[in-house]
Amino acid sequence: MSRTTSYPQTMPPTRPEVSSTGPQEERSRWAALASSADHKDISRILICSAFGSLFLAALELLLMRVQLAVPSNVFLKGVTFDRLLSVYGETAIFLVALPLIIGLLYYVVPLQIGARTTSIPRVGQIGLWLFIFGGILLYASFLFTPPEAGINPLPPFSDATFAPNNGVDVWIGSTGLITLGLLLISIDLLTTLHNLRAPGMAWRRAPLFTWASAIVTWLFVVIAPIFLAAITMLLIDRLYDGGFFAGDSGGSPILWQHLTYLFFTGVYMSVSITFLAAIGEIVQTFTGRELPRKAIVWSMVAIAIVGTLAWTQNMLTAPIGSGWKYFGMLMSLALIVPFGLIFYNLISTVSQSDFHMRAPLRFALGALSLASIGLAAEIAQSTIAVATQLSQTYDAWASTHFALVGFVVFGGFAAVSYWYPKMTGHELNEDRAMKSFGLMFAGAIIAILPLFGAGVAGQVTDSYRWFSGEDFGVFNAIAAVGTLILFVGIILAVGNLIKSRSEEPVATPDPYRGDSLEWLALSPPPAHNFDVLPDVRSTRPMRDIREAVTRRDSVDAEAGSAAQPVA
Amino acid sequence: MAVRFVDRRGLNDVGNLIPDWKRMRRRGAASATAIRMARVLLPRSRKPVSLFISLAGVLLAFALNASPAMALSLNPDAASPGIEEGNTLHWILFVVILAVIVIVNLAILRAARPRTRAVSPKPGKKLSQVKLAVGLGVFALALFIVATVFSDKSREIPAINAEPVAGQVKGQPLEIRATGQQWLWRFDYPNASFSYRRLIVPAGVTVQLNLESTDVVHGWNVPELTGKAQAIPGRTSELYFRADEPGTYTNRSSMLSGQGYDTMEIEVMVLPPDEYEAAIEELRKNIQIAQDKVEAEFQASREKSEDAAAQAEEAEKTAGEAEEAANEAETSVAEANNEAESTDSE
Repeated sequence: MSRTTSYPQTMPPTRPEVSSTGPQEERSRWAALASSADHKDISRILICSAFGSLFLAALELLLMRVQLAVPSNVFLKGVTFDRLLSVYGETAIFLVALPLIIGLLYYVVPLQIGARTTSIPRVGQIGLWLFIFGGILLYASFLFTPPEAGINPLPPFSDATFAPNNGVDVWIGSTGLITLGLLLISIDLLTTLHNLRAPGMAWRRAPLFTWASAIVTWLFVVIAPIFLAAITMLLIDRLYDGGFFAGDSGGSPILWQHLTYLFFTGVYMSVSITFLAAIGEIVQTFTGRELPRKAIVWSMVAIAIVGTLAWTQNMLTAPIGSGWKYFGMLMSLALIVPFGLIFYNLISTVSQSDFHMRAPLRFALGALSLASIGLAAEIAQSTIAVATQLSQTYDAWASTHFALVGFVVFGGFAAVSYWYPKMTGHELNEDRAMKSFGLMFAGAIIAILPLFGAGVAGQVTDSYRWFSGEDFGVFNAIAAVGTLILFVGIILAVGNLIKSRSEEPVATPDPYRGDSLEWLALSPPPAHNFDVLPDVRSTRPMRDIREAVTRRDSVDAEAGSAAQPVA
Repeated sequence: MAVRFVDRRGLNDVGNLIPDWKRMRRRGAASATAIRMARVLLPRSRKPVSLFISLAGVLLAFALNASPAMALSLNPDAASPGIEEGNTLHWILFVVILAVIVIVNLAILRAARPRTRAVSPKPGKKLSQVKLAVGLGVFALALFIVATVFSDKSREIPAINAEPVAGQVKGQPLEIRATGQQWLWRFDYPNASFSYRRLIVPAGVTVQLNLESTDVVHGWNVPELTGKAQAIPGRTSELYFRADEPGTYTNRSSMLSGQGYDTMEIEVMVLPPDEYEAAIEELRKNIQIAQDKVEAEFQASREKSEDAAAQAEEAEKTAGEAEEAANEAETSVAEANNEAESTDSE
């Protein structure tokens, strides 16, 4: 990019560049954290709870896989399996994927656009606490009745007639609180994006991750209310004898599928966009080369719109008009274009560059590898003739899990280890990260790939056992071993995140020589993020600042004055 | 001398942990070829360790499943027209998907190769984004067209059989109603007979299956004949199939419906048309016999209860009489007492 030459060069910041570390803390750390409306504190809680929930989700998955390892297993009772399944589904989507993407965006993006705070921080704080209470509600339900109506509790199975206990109410309450909370945080981030960008930070200069945040938060503002409306209708059906989803009183059970699959597909796409953008940032930083911004940004917009419109891809076996089904098929297959463009640009940029392999880049490539398997396998799931055979089997399960484990778990560790020095002020132990990566990667492949075999052999999902008469062979046993390996890998990787904070050396503000503005702030950033509001003149503002400082230092050196340390 | 793989920035510390391919190559031409092939797939780095483990695990999973049923069991046996089209489409897509996965992952492996003195990538020429997008669009459109053609074919109603079986209107498919309920399927035949769990259909006859549900959403799932379809309460969805050969297909429902979901089986028994007619006729007779038996038992119990009622009435009557007698006795005693009192007072 030769854009830097077409604008006046960035002025070096006045001295001292960054010096204060914020006011002295008067309260104890936990009290300060709990009462903070700072976007960094809120995001830290979101990200930490996402990793805590990742442990729980992996544990639940492991228990279910052990139950399914051999035919007619008696390890878990049917009702326990259903409860684990329902809680696993909600944990994976609402307590891992969503808080992780919202947390990462909410932490990094205000720093990337050079904002000192968010626009309406109290709204973000309310959002955090709604989220926390939603999570507590879900897991507190193990004291009475956890949800047991499946990952997506379809009415009438989730109506009061067929699910008379409080399980579905817990599901509605917790997903509602979490969605509402994350929606409020999204709104805060969105207003920040539109109001508080640093001078010169035009949209055409905004980093990829900032673009992803704009797309994802707008998408979430559209889809989250749809989901909230759907669960409110279900609540009215359950508690006040409403008829939204009751077939015999003018309502329709299909309506629930339309509303919720629209939301879940939108979440799938939000997760994909966020982590593809994070991987894009990682690739740009470590290879030192810029990705073609226009192509990537338009691809992300296309994924958000086209991908969400592909919701009927989940309903190819439902009694809906053929038009819906062909529309869903067309939209899902159209996703090949934006995903293909982004994958091509990411991989070719890495391939043609010289770099030193670090943990974030390795996790990023692992994420691309796993997600490519899942997304490619979704092609078969999205065609009508094949989906009537393979939907609701472990083939569909494996496709979705490859894509989501790739993006959420591997993309999540890539993004968190990339911004780890910024968030904690410490470096990440690379050696342990690489080892945990190896375990997790092998575990993910062994845990998910064999299930394609079980799926095409006809094994249906959500059932707590299968019988030796059904010829599913050892796919399930191998998958259980793989899940165990994945589980151990996740524990090691999370343990590394915890241990590195106390054991590793203090990180500099700009350990990778990144191009975007979050690297201008201290590590970890003070409450007000920046002392000096940066002046953005190109798509690579931090490089401009480094160059300006170098120029100034060389001028200073020629003038004979002592070079000042640079933040 | 062993070549140490030094990162171009001089930061690579993994050189002594990875195999020295050059020294290994000297050992022989045969192994050299294998090594060269391996090098194409697995560039020099530590990464292959996890890759080897995972590939070994997966290969093990597929190798241990080498039973005849498993071998190349990508698709169910096609026992009805329309299934074969779906199977063909799946084979086409399987090859496409496998190619995409292999190409993308080899490109990722190549991109991740460690940078050495020998390997110093230069910024190559990038494809134009527009051309790439157009190419991918053409690819997607081609897939859509192929998928549409095969899906349309697989959804066609099979040709109606010329000779109608009992209960079938000539020129119309044979209508059978399948009703899902927790956790059984009920099948209603045209001759007013019905069966649970096991569906009996004639071979070579086009069947229209009307899917309904009495309670929750159930997943109809017979891959060999119809594939999957949701049975939704308050709605009827039609499925058409024509079983080619007599046989039995056992499957299970595919949507979570509660505690008995894991045992909610569907067995489709395909019989030759005459045997089918005999079977549902026998079913009807058996149901009639059972119905008669129930009726007879009901009548018997009602008669019994009527007798009992009559006896009870009689007993009541007797009891009433006894009561009356007792009352009378009481009155007479009272009268006697009164009389006695009056005599005493006198």
